[in-house]
Amino acid sequence: MSGSTSRAYTSPHSVTAAWSALTDDRVVKVVVDAAGGDNAPGEIVRGALEAAGPQLHIVFTGDEARIRPLLPQGTEHVSIVHAPDVIGYDDEPASAARAKTGSSIVVGLKLVHDGEADAFVSAGNTGAVVAGSVLYIRRIPGVQRPAICTIIPAMPAPIAFLDVGANAEVRPEHLRQFAVMGQAFAREVMGIAGPDIGLLSIGEEPSKGTPDVVEAHRLIAGDERIRFYGNIEGRDIMNRTVDVVVTDGFTGNVALKTIEGSAKAILGALRATIDLNLATKLGGLLLRHDLMVLKDALDPEEFGGALLVGMKAPVVIAHGNSRARGIAQAVRMARRGAVSELLPTISRELGTQGGSV
Amino acid sequence: MTREEVFEHVKGILVETLSVDDDKVTLEARFQEDLETDSLDLVELVMTMEEKFGIKISDEEAAQIKTVGDAVDFVMTRVDA
Repeated sequence: MSGSTSRAYTSPHSVTAAWSALTDDRVVKVVVDAAGGDNAPGEIVRGALEAAGPQLHIVFTGDEARIRPLLPQGTEHVSIVHAPDVIGYDDEPASAARAKTGSSIVVGLKLVHDGEADAFVSAGNTGAVVAGSVLYIRRIPGVQRPAICTIIPAMPAPIAFLDVGANAEVRPEHLRQFAVMGQAFAREVMGIAGPDIGLLSIGEEPSKGTPDVVEAHRLIAGDERIRFYGNIEGRDIMNRTVDVVVTDGFTGNVALKTIEGSAKAILGALRATIDLNLATKLGGLLLRHDLMVLKDALDPEEFGGALLVGMKAPVVIAHGNSRARGIAQAVRMARRGAVSELLPTISRELGTQGGSV
Repeated sequence: MTREEVFEHVKGILVETLSVDDDKVTLEARFQEDLETDSLDLVELVMTMEEKFGIKISDEEAAQIKTVGDAVDFVMTRVDA
């Protein structure tokens, strides 16, 4: 794992390997929403089973009749809680989270709230998972807004990026809280020692940005516990100028999707160039091995999903189109969230402050 | 329950659950404009009030609650047997 001062290459694998290398002896129960996502329940169940083990128990929520047939004979460390209802992508998040108490998402979140499980993973309706988490698992006291914190395969090392969609509009104090939570996430879940925090803006100077961003800069700079690098711009995200990038949910969502789209376009153009003629194809063959390593590093299934920071228990939002590998990684990230110092750190650093600075 | 008691309970919910500033909570305080709560916060408030006071609040009724005073009034009409 590289520290913030080191520019050594850190592959996504070395970050996620820590999630699978069980250095503690806790048994963690992770609830997995078997009905959420484009590839439910097949890929969801397969992925969760991959991650299951003596120290990682899976509790599936969903239609038991559809889940049980997918479990091989003699499957251990797995249980099912029947939840026949589903919150679809069209459902209004907060209403559905409140009303559909028999849905796989709500039943799952309630299991965590009641202490029957330690963490929750879903590839379903993100808004409903966020609303449901706020309503059933609840925020850590002192946290005003949760944030969806994702890991981006920046070069030369992965970085944390939040908020990528939990809140469309935020106030300066929320951005300060995101900085604190992002820092805790980078340390505890990603294993980055002494992470540097950057505030996304339209210029490096503290005076650049909207009035809210300018005020957020002032608040973050004034918080001694935050290793604040200063403002960074959009183009600095992928070159790992900082380890944690903080922004509001609207900007974060736009930026994330822009990065995904650009990567796809560039890889597509690269493929097309290689296919142009015999010479380029030969060149492609020579590059093949290292290109595969690169493709592997950029695989969105590597990190599995994003963590909703600020909740009393880890909630991992897996990509909607997750296949088994992505789900397995999301489950492992959830376990890491539960056994690390992530929750106590956020509780300590935001709990004492209460409302605002 | 007296009006003051209900107010203190509602204030407690706002401060502990929604991390609202203690001194901002007055009867006239508007949830959106003065207490900076968003729509999800309001759903959470309504659900917590339901649990705390043992009452049921429909989505339509919840939509009418705009100030702390409205919330207190609502509870008073429901809790009074």
